[in-house]
Amino acid sequence: MITTAPQTTTASAIQVSGVRRAYGAVQALDGVDLTVRQGELLALLGPNGAGKTTLVEILEGHRIADAGEVRVLGHDPARRERAFLERIGIVLQETGLDPNITVREAVALYSAAYPRPRDVDEVLELVGLDQRAGARAATLSGGQRRRLDLALGIAGDPELLFLDEPTTGFDPGARRQAWELIGRLREGGTTILLTTHYMEEAQVLADRVVVLGRGRVIADADPDALSAGGAESIVSYRLDGRHVRFATRTPTADLAPILGSAAARGEELEGLTVTRPSLEDVYLELTEEPR
Amino acid sequence: MIATDFNLLGRWIAARVRFTLRSPRALGFTFAFPLVLVTLFGSINSGQNVATPSGGDVPFSQYYTPAIGVFAITLACYTSLIIGIATARETGLLKRVRGTPLPLPVYLGAWLTGAALTGIASVLLLFVVAVPALGVDIYVSKLPEAILTLILGAACLGSLGLALGTLAKTAEQAQPLAQLTFLPISFISGVWFPITDAPSWLTHLADFFPLSHLVNAFSACFVPGGNVEAKDLLSLVIWGAVGMFIAVRRLRAATLS
Repeated sequence: MITTAPQTTTASAIQVSGVRRAYGAVQALDGVDLTVRQGELLALLGPNGAGKTTLVEILEGHRIADAGEVRVLGHDPARRERAFLERIGIVLQETGLDPNITVREAVALYSAAYPRPRDVDEVLELVGLDQRAGARAATLSGGQRRRLDLALGIAGDPELLFLDEPTTGFDPGARRQAWELIGRLREGGTTILLTTHYMEEAQVLADRVVVLGRGRVIADADPDALSAGGAESIVSYRLDGRHVRFATRTPTADLAPILGSAAARGEELEGLTVTRPSLEDVYLELTEEPR
Repeated sequence: MIATDFNLLGRWIAARVRFTLRSPRALGFTFAFPLVLVTLFGSINSGQNVATPSGGDVPFSQYYTPAIGVFAITLACYTSLIIGIATARETGLLKRVRGTPLPLPVYLGAWLTGAALTGIASVLLLFVVAVPALGVDIYVSKLPEAILTLILGAACLGSLGLALGTLAKTAEQAQPLAQLTFLPISFISGVWFPITDAPSWLTHLADFFPLSHLVNAFSACFVPGGNVEAKDLLSLVIWGAVGMFIAVRRLRAATLS
């Protein structure tokens, strides 16, 4: 249960413009503009090496941008002010934990530095670790460990939550549970920046999808608009043993006469489907390396 | 309610001590190993006297117990912190902590204090066994000085352990780094046997490092008429400050690039 409403100090939770960052000769971020509204769940997609991790680490205060404006909850994250860190939660990939710490201890200890931590039992129940509260971190399975990471990320009741591939290594059931939890957090008003490789995850959870490619934003839209935009639908059916398949931007107009004549003759169009390209198709098209 | 930093420090120190007590490896190293050394060599050499740097002859265990106490402090504070911090860096534990509002000084302070408490407990255990079993004498009037020396020594070696933990590039490097820095210095500093007739260049070399000063100061508390010298304690303070300075700088830089 989420009871605390986010304190609105700025209209947008994250405001980034012209951010650049290079590692030696490699330009990891090449002028990124990004705005995340309060309460929004934004999925950040992009192939490995696109600059996702660098961008997120700059927003978290783990890295410094070479150039550009970065405001997160009204703060400059690079200054790592305590008042800033008290308002965010971070779930990184593969983060170490004291091997001898127990699940309950970890949640209690790591949330103690926040001004208004969530109740430990409530957090354990939210992530489904209440049965493993006394277990040592080193004895948890991969999926349980990831859920503990999630627990530690939300234990301080953050206004803004960074989730870096939160469900990697989850079985389908655990993934659904995590999605439910993330959805509930969003409903409670938490702003969430999610990076993921699972298109389905972005499709189910995100209000908006931003695709990074070679250090730049190459797409920024809501997931449905992104998968519908510009791309064509595929119409497919069988008639008189003949397989018909065509691509069209106007499936309704094209199908109307076909359906009308088939119905008039009392025939059934076998296996009739109209499919739209999935987010994954669009993503692959967007991020395809030029040959 | 915001927990005060003092409150936070207390919670993290308690947690660090708990983690150590739950680790069989840490228990064996910090508590069992020095105890075995003291009882074994104390029994073998019982009845023998050794000359101490401060002048007088004392029974073997009277010198050896505090000297191995210094070794116990080194294991608990120096070796374990080098390995602990290097591992925390490599596994991303440090990055996790730096992503929370927990202040870095509180976090490092908890590592340091937790290690110091473990080390001091290990020294106490040595004496609890050595006094009745090996006839080691304790001089009550010297106890305040002995305790002060132990605390300064633990803080000094702990700070240096933190610093070297940040200098190790990987956790795998940490163990050899700890041993290769400690062992040679320990031989010329009187941890294993008193240094009385060493060439002066060797004594000067040993004097540069804090370990010989810790051995001298702590041993002096267990020799009749022995005195803790201010210069020994000063060396501990200076080295401790240098270590802490390096550790904080390196850790701030390591988690923000």
